Amino acid sequence: MADKEKRRSGVPPSGMPEGKAPKSDSDGEFLSQAGVGELLRGAILKMVEARSDDPIGFLADHFCNLASVTEAGRAGCDDGSQLSNGPLSSGAQEQQHLNRALWHLRLAHHSQRSAFSNNVRVAYDLLNFTQPCRRPGEVPEGPDDSCNDGPTKGGGGGGGVKGGLYSQTLQCLCSEGGVPASTSAPLLQRLHCQDHEAVPYDVFRHGVLTCAVFSDYIRQAQRLYAEVCCPDEGPASRSLCLAVLGTLKEALETSQGCDAKCCVNANCKVNSCVEANLKAIRYLEASAKISPYKLAQAMSEARTRGPGGNMDAKEFENAAADLFITRVKVLS
Amino acid sequence: MNRFNSSVPADEYLADSNVLVYLSDAVTQLLEHKEEYTQFGVIRYFAEYFSSVKNSNHVLFREYNYIRATAHNRASFIRVFWRCYRQIGKSGDLLSMLEYRSLLQLLCPDFPVEMVQNAARIVLMEDAIDCLMSFSDFLYAFQLQFYYQEFLDSVLVIYQDLLAGKSPNTVIVPTSIEQLPFAAAEDNEKEGQQQDGVDSSTLAECIDALCDRFKHSHPSRSCMKEVLEQTEKVCYYSFLMSLAKQETINQAIGALPSKAELLIDPEMDQELDKIIAQISVSPGSNSSGSAVGGLKEVQRKASPRRNIHHRRKVESDGSTEETDSSEN
Repeated sequence: MADKEKRRSGVPPSGMPEGKAPKSDSDGEFLSQAGVGELLRGAILKMVEARSDDPIGFLADHFCNLASVTEAGRAGCDDGSQLSNGPLSSGAQEQQHLNRALWHLRLAHHSQRSAFSNNVRVAYDLLNFTQPCRRPGEVPEGPDDSCNDGPTKGGGGGGGVKGGLYSQTLQCLCSEGGVPASTSAPLLQRLHCQDHEAVPYDVFRHGVLTCAVFSDYIRQAQRLYAEVCCPDEGPASRSLCLAVLGTLKEALETSQGCDAKCCVNANCKVNSCVEANLKAIRYLEASAKISPYKLAQAMSEARTRGPGGNMDAKEFENAAADLFITRVKVLS
Repeated sequence: MNRFNSSVPADEYLADSNVLVYLSDAVTQLLEHKEEYTQFGVIRYFAEYFSSVKNSNHVLFREYNYIRATAHNRASFIRVFWRCYRQIGKSGDLLSMLEYRSLLQLLCPDFPVEMVQNAARIVLMEDAIDCLMSFSDFLYAFQLQFYYQEFLDSVLVIYQDLLAGKSPNTVIVPTSIEQLPFAAAEDNEKEGQQQDGVDSSTLAECIDALCDRFKHSHPSRSCMKEVLEQTEKVCYYSFLMSLAKQETINQAIGALPSKAELLIDPEMDQELDKIIAQISVSPGSNSSGSAVGGLKEVQRKASPRRNIHHRRKVESDGSTEETDSSEN
């Protein structure tokens, strides 16, 4: 690369005509003019928020994404002035917004609630802006700007994200999460919105969070199957798998009981502290039910009796997915 | 995403990640080459900078202080060195310490000779520093020395204290390599003593305590322990030589493949075969054309130069053949 050549000497050029003070002055000016301070502050905040394991990779992606957004933003403006709202360019723009929204959703794991919620908000606003009645001046907005904005109050966006775009987002989230399309299809069916519907923020957030948790869940289920089956001996025995699935189901029921209870009590808003404790206890109970000890117990019982035959990984995955999907609430 | 570490304070996370080193270097570079780097926009510049850091291309032709600034930079430089000069290993040439220094300085103009000397001492067990070394021997020794420089310097101080019969508790951790030539001179004086080295278990204890101070920037404890348990008495450089051969340590650094795969590079082979084919078509031409052309004469003297037509054969068994130099 050409720039590598230029970096060859770390020593600044000696023939600098000015003294030190004016140089650093102009440097400061240059940096503030180019907005470097703002740029780096935004990047560091994002990085600290996401606590990525690979901070360098995170920054590389972050700046690449920003650069492509600003470059595309400039190009988009030009496009807009030449062929206003041509069907092709609006489709491409939609795709671009979808990509950016997905990028934001990927930034933080859903267990980091505040970061994740921020990113869902940003993604929602981005997708909401894709409506055709958008003012051109809003195009080059940096991804960080909208963090603290209200939900698209003043923007040109419509009353919500288009249903089709919402479904597409969920689909991408699942496939990026490593979930095979056949496994995620029933979930997507359940969360599905009609293409013409406008999806409000709550529904959007619920769907996104569900898909994120589902991806994690399916990965765990796949790992669980790998534990049950010995790779040399072919597929795992059906009775073992059923025992594991049974344990999983029991645990899910335990944790769900807590959800239902909390929903009822949330309206009263009395003794919220006690409620929180109860909730925590239920979760602990649930996790105790899928503890290695419990699993081992169930499996050793199943080994002696239970149906013969085998269960392959796909069947196990589907069964586990089914347990999850039947417990997904549908918001309307 | 690291979901379990959100409790780490922000400043600690930033300090551990070394990101600030790169950010300040990126800004410094930007200021030094304003006109050139800003023509595509500042954001694109930062994107390129961090992509190159991510892909480990960022250390090429940079100054020594930069290439040793972070563990990632060190690993990247080791990798770059290997990738650039792998063909030397293939052709089975043996080079001297000064030749390796020249190679390193092609990649990093101010690369200090002390670092190369120390690596050579590991390979040659310090006595005959003018001897020739095979590429893979030098590479793994260099990796150990360069990556764990500060730690090894401290080990050397402890070792010398133990040799002199001093209590190693009074050890002052050296912070720069300037002390090493002095230390090396001292070595020669005590050559008689050095034959037997120090008690391995005492050294192991001291090293274990040292590791606590070095956080993560030391070779794996179990590995060092294992090496020290093998003999009752140990010399500093034979200890380092054993460490350099440890595949666990090599994997932990993550810059180089295992010794068996070090010289395998089918793409480069194809390219070279093409070039060689072109050369043999035009008989008058000189076969040199590589960056190390200047070293050619010395190489010729150093090793029985293999005929180009025999190259293939050499490669197939080259990797095992050339490890011998140090093992004898």
